Formats: sequence, C-alpha cells, structure tokens
Amino acid sequence: MKTSFFCGVSILALTACATQPQSPPLPRAQPSTTQELAAAIDADARRSDHEADAKVRAELAAEAGRDADACLAREPQAAACLYGGAIALGLEARAHPARAGESLNSMLDKLARAESSDPNYDEAGPARVRALVLIRAPGWPLGPGDTEAGLDAARRAVALRPLYPPNLLALAEGLAKTGDRSGARDAYARARDAAQALPDAADRNDWLREADQGLKH
Amino acid sequence: MTTLLAASLATLVFCAPGYPGGAGDAQPLLDQFAAATAAISGWPAGSLGAVYDPTEEGGLAKLAGNDAVLAFVPYPFYVEHAAQLHLTPLVQADMADIGPQQRWTLVAKSGRLTGPASMTGYLLLSTAGYAPDFIRHSALQDWVLPADVKIEFTGQVLSALRRAAAGEPVAVLLDQTQAAALPSLPFAAELKSVAQSAELPVALIAVVGSRLAPPRAKALQEGLLKMGRSGGSSESLAPLRLRGFVLPKLPSRTAP
Repeated sequence: MKTSFFCGVSILALTACATQPQSPPLPRAQPSTTQELAAAIDADARRSDHEADAKVRAELAAEAGRDADACLAREPQAAACLYGGAIALGLEARAHPARAGESLNSMLDKLARAESSDPNYDEAGPARVRALVLIRAPGWPLGPGDTEAGLDAARRAVALRPLYPPNLLALAEGLAKTGDRSGARDAYARARDAAQALPDAADRNDWLREADQGLKH
Repeated sequence: MTTLLAASLATLVFCAPGYPGGAGDAQPLLDQFAAATAAISGWPAGSLGAVYDPTEEGGLAKLAGNDAVLAFVPYPFYVEHAAQLHLTPLVQADMADIGPQQRWTLVAKSGRLTGPASMTGYLLLSTAGYAPDFIRHSALQDWVLPADVKIEFTGQVLSALRRAAAGEPVAVLLDQTQAAALPSLPFAAELKSVAQSAELPVALIAVVGSRLAPPRAKALQEGLLKMGRSGGSSESLAPLRLRGFVLPKLPSRTAP
C-alpha cells in the first residue's frame, strides 16, 4: 500500500487510551472450551485497554491470537470464535502498527462473518466493533477507514440492541465524525440515559464518562 | 517525554491537517526524530523537542508559542501560512514513497467538466482544502477556478469521491498517493482527472520568524541534509516514511 506524509504516525486506537500501567500478564489456567477461549480473549482485550506498556500489550495480543486460533480450530464458523479472532487482530494491529493495514482488513473480514453467523453476539458486537474500526481507522487510501460504512454498521448495532450504551456511543462517534453535531449530541444523550439505567459497574462509569465527554463538544 | 520537553530550548512543531494519527500516537516517533536531529546537527542532547498536531488550528496555536522555532508542515500549509508566520524553508522532506515532490490531481464526474469555467457553482473538496490559496494559485495555477467555487477541507476523501461519482457538483483535489489509488475504487470509471499540478514540494521544515540564530539554523540544515545518509539516522526517519531531506526547491511564487 502506498503511504503519504505522516501516515507513519497513524496508529489505530481501537480501545481507550492507556492510562494505568499494569504488571505483565499473569500465568493462567489454559482455556479449552469455546466459551473459555472467547472469555480469555475478552479479558486480554480489557487488560490491553488500560495497559500503557507496549511490550505487555504485545504479549496480550499474542496470547489473544493464540486463543483465537485455538477457538477457530474447534469451531471455525462460531460467532464467538470469529468475533474473538477479530478482537485479537485488533490487539495485533495496535501492538504492531507497521502491520496494521493487513490486520485490520482481516479483522473486518472476520467481523462480517461473525455478523452473518450471529448478529446479536455480545450485544450486537460484530456490527459495533466493525463500526468503530471503520470510523477510527485511517481512511482511503491509507487504510480501511470509511466513516459512511462505519455509520451504517453503528446503525445496525443500535437497531439490534438500542439500549446498549456502547452501540449508541459508536453511533455518536460516527455522527460526530461526519459533522452531524446535533445527531451526535442526541446519541450521546441516549447513551448516557441508557448507562444511567444500568447497575453501577466499572463499564457503566466508563460509558457515562465517554457520553459526558461527547456532550461537552 | 515531559523531561525532554522541559529541558528543550527549541521545539519543532509537526502539523499535518487531513492526515491520520493523533498526537499521543505520534509522540514517541517525534521524540526519536528530534533526538536524532539534534545529535546529527551537533546540538546538545535534549535541546530540541518535537510536538505534533493533526489540525490546522492546533498547529497554528503551537507555532505561536515562543519555543516553537521550527515548523514541519505539508506544502499547502506552508503556502497558506508562510507569510503570517514568517517561515523560512530550511529543507524539503524526501518521502519514502513519492520523493520530495508530488503532483496534485483534480478529479470530477466523467464528462461533466469541459474547462475551468464549467466549474461554476462547484464545491471543491480536498485534504488541502484548509489552504485555498494553495489550491487556487499553486495546485490549480493553470486551471483558473471561477470565483464562486467553494473550497472546503475534508478528511473523508472517499466520501467526497462518492459524491462526485454520484453526479453532485463536487470536484476533489487529490494528492499523489490518493490519485495513484484512484483506479482501485469500484466506481473509478465514473470519475475523470481533469487537471494536474506541476511538481510541488510535499513537505518542508522551516524556521519560524527569527527565533533560531543563523549559526544554529545552518548547523541544523547541514544535519538534516545528512540524515538518511549516515548510520543510525535512518531509524528515526523510517517510521515517519521519510527517506531524508533535500535543499528546498520551491516554485518561484512561494520562494522566500
């Protein structure tokens, strides 16, 4: 792929900014079932979200990749494995930006197959994560980013799970990026209301913070 | 990074409106580049810092700071703000993929534009849309745009091309990388290149005002020209897709 001025600094942040340094990955029991492997990938992704150390993020990405391969070997068409494989590729893209273009294209392919297999998996996760990749990735011709397609994916996620705050946050982000400030504010407000209706938890607080930040702009 | 910046006497401000990448992502690469530049120029370690801003407004704000002695900016930014910021070109970036110069290409719906006058009422979108003076008088110097053509910045080039292909009165000015990728689009047959610029610089490093003493500027220029040609310095260039630097070769209109 040809590149251009400063594209070398374009690194996709699919997750929140790293803020809290943590220790290297802890030894763990080897997951073996599809559910355990999917849960292990999810746990690696959550840790990576808050990990400042690039080396640890690379280790988490490698571990998630191994778990995704094991999951796909067991059930190649299962939404949990395809979705987990996509998440692992997102971690790989973040850990190794030089290979990000290839990882992101594979990620989008896996998300499309996961969405075909079970669009409701992880609260419409395949469409939501696809939206975030398309909205945040560098756009044509440097990367697979495509805000319009991302917005379509976010709308599909919201249509399936309208009260799940991350779906509304993805929609708000897409609307904001296309310059629809009014639509974005409305979606951020809906995300905040949906989060406030949920029991108190770390995720809920993160969603509320993101919605409040969006409403300030 | 904070320590380095605190100790810095001079700051190099990178600004690239329309290109992807956030300041946080870029900072480690910029720190590496600043350290290598200082070393090869014989400047004391830690005497050159670097910051990045992906927006025109943010870049201008950073360049207004007294510690901002150098600007590393795309040529359209230079054309638009050189006079205001009193920029004096030091070196021209030699990009890994396209070299030190590039051509810009104006693209529109096939069969719609027969000449500049037929663009009356058009919207011209580009990643360089923040620099209308560059577009009118550098990139499209030989394609005189009607006065009522509206020029706007877009970071969504694909969307702009879709609008043009769909028949909206929209034309898109593409940089060389974008123009080269155009045939890969599924709707490429709907679009046509109608004008192309002469070869223009891709990006420049310039001194801001008189904030850098001439001997230090000279040492920096000599150091930058050596980058990519001496051991070690290539490592700081590759992540920024730079091959090295050459002496500025500006079109006569924008030469200082």
